[in-house]
Amino acid sequence: MTDVIQSGIDAREIQAPADPSPRRRTWRAFRQNPLGMGSLAVIAFLAVLSAAAPLIADFPSGYGEEILVGPSAAHWFGTDELGRDIFAEVIWGGRISMIIGFAASFLAILIGVTVGITASYAPRLDPPLSMLVDVSLALPVLPLMILVAALVGPSVETLVLVIALFSWPEVARIVRSQALSVTRLPYVDAARTIGGSHLWIMTRHLLPAVAPVIVVAVVLTASRAVLSEAGLSFLGLGDPDSWSWGKILYNAQRSGALTIAWWATLFPSLAILLLVVSATLVSIAYNDARNPKTREA
Amino acid sequence: MRLLNYASRRLLRGFATFLFAVTITFFLVRLLPGDPMLAIAAPGMTEELLARQIADLGLDRSLIVQYVAYLRELGQGNLGISFLRGQPVSEVLMARLPWTLLLTGSALLVTIVLGVPLGVLAAVKARGAVDRLVQVVGVIGQSLFVPSIGIFLLYTLGLWLGLFPIGSAVDPDTHGAARVLSILHHLALPCLTLVMAQLASYVLTLRATLIESLGEEYCDLARVKGASESRVVWQHALRNALLPTTTLVGLQIGFLVGGAVLTETIYAYPGVGRAIFEAVGQLDYPVLQGAFVLLAATVVLANLLTDLLYGLLDPRVRTA
Repeated sequence: MTDVIQSGIDAREIQAPADPSPRRRTWRAFRQNPLGMGSLAVIAFLAVLSAAAPLIADFPSGYGEEILVGPSAAHWFGTDELGRDIFAEVIWGGRISMIIGFAASFLAILIGVTVGITASYAPRLDPPLSMLVDVSLALPVLPLMILVAALVGPSVETLVLVIALFSWPEVARIVRSQALSVTRLPYVDAARTIGGSHLWIMTRHLLPAVAPVIVVAVVLTASRAVLSEAGLSFLGLGDPDSWSWGKILYNAQRSGALTIAWWATLFPSLAILLLVVSATLVSIAYNDARNPKTREA
Repeated sequence: MRLLNYASRRLLRGFATFLFAVTITFFLVRLLPGDPMLAIAAPGMTEELLARQIADLGLDRSLIVQYVAYLRELGQGNLGISFLRGQPVSEVLMARLPWTLLLTGSALLVTIVLGVPLGVLAAVKARGAVDRLVQVVGVIGQSLFVPSIGIFLLYTLGLWLGLFPIGSAVDPDTHGAARVLSILHHLALPCLTLVMAQLASYVLTLRATLIESLGEEYCDLARVKGASESRVVWQHALRNALLPTTTLVGLQIGFLVGGAVLTETIYAYPGVGRAIFEAVGQLDYPVLQGAFVLLAATVVLANLLTDLLYGLLDPRVRTA
């Protein structure tokens, strides 16, 4: 030791830089992926556009003078069967589509993570909970959502609750299988041995271990919720007082504009596609960034 | 014996799933905010019909009695009375079911016929140009909104090129071979819509499992023994890679049925899905409820079939 110091080498120089935390490493790899960052930017752009809707366009309502006119300088995305501006409808529709997507996804994640972690940690609760999840996943969800939404009466709250109610089993399944491999690890036994409460072990030891899976689930559940909302609205179960991307398509279908005016369906369709593709790419880029194998490559 | 054991377990699970579907439907309709009578009594219903319906369902008695009565009626095929036509829901829907089965069945068949070669093509030259293309198209394909696909095809192939008819499932007054041709002609666009909606999941799953299989030792062994690469792919690796794809069928059938509801709505295809859309517009709750029960039964049966197929394909299930 004394030799090293006497040789005049600064101890700081031979010390390797501390390993960054896994979270930081993932983020660094993610930032270098143009596809992931680009998709994140697209989502942010759509979110800002939706948030700023009142500043960009008037709420589309009433009747306009130009009926079913194609895209022009005055109406970028054309007008619908009542002469309303479709650009305004898409912008305002993005608000509701994204709000419902995020709110429903948030609720579904909350329920799904709770059920998934509980099932993985409590051997006695696992069979009934897994059975519930399996059985729910086997059912055709859209017809069930339609039934409930029609019974309760369409509104934004209904859509959020209905979509969340039937989306959590997917989350629970993924979280459970991930958490199951962690509950068998020695550190969980250690936590139990030192007298940790069940709640403490589940929230402080299991939850962080499945956090990456939850990140992916948030993104995918949200994009699927956007699709579910669009599907329900397309069938006429959207909130009657607000616009959403699915409702623009429903209007086009109901009024017959569908077969006359391509612009009435193209732009809301593109908006949905853009959001869902971006979300999918973000989750793929995040998974790649977390995986050391693909990170090195 | 093993297979019988496996089959009976699957049968039991299928039954449990269906019972669960029926049970949540029952409680949702009665416990959700809103008058349960709304879901049973039609505005224009005659007193006599209403009284019979109430007696049939035991609506004047406790929830448990009602539940038992509901199951009993269901066992006899009574799904209630449609608001709109005063017709039994089961009659309304059973007339529609064959079209939905034709649509979903053909879509599944075409998906597999197209998906297997595509998945193999991508996996054999992993990271090659074809593989890259399959992956990019796959990600976009998985993100498509079913009505968007339907509307796109309706425009391009239906209206613009005029290749296929739009609306209804068959021309009236056609017989024999002409009728079959007419049915296929009307089926093309809705079927293609559903194929485009689900093809990507199948191709990507098969690709991933096939790449894994091709790296296994038994494939190396086959190569060392002098088997050609195409034999290794098609005879050795694909057999194992198809197993997870079989499970995917089970997972995707629910999505397929949901897609059929949306597709039938666009093309005015006279299946159960179109009946759902019409029932939503008229708030015909018994039809909505019956349609879900019927579609759930279909999905459970289809799942049971794929499970049994899996049991036959996978020797581990038979002998383990």
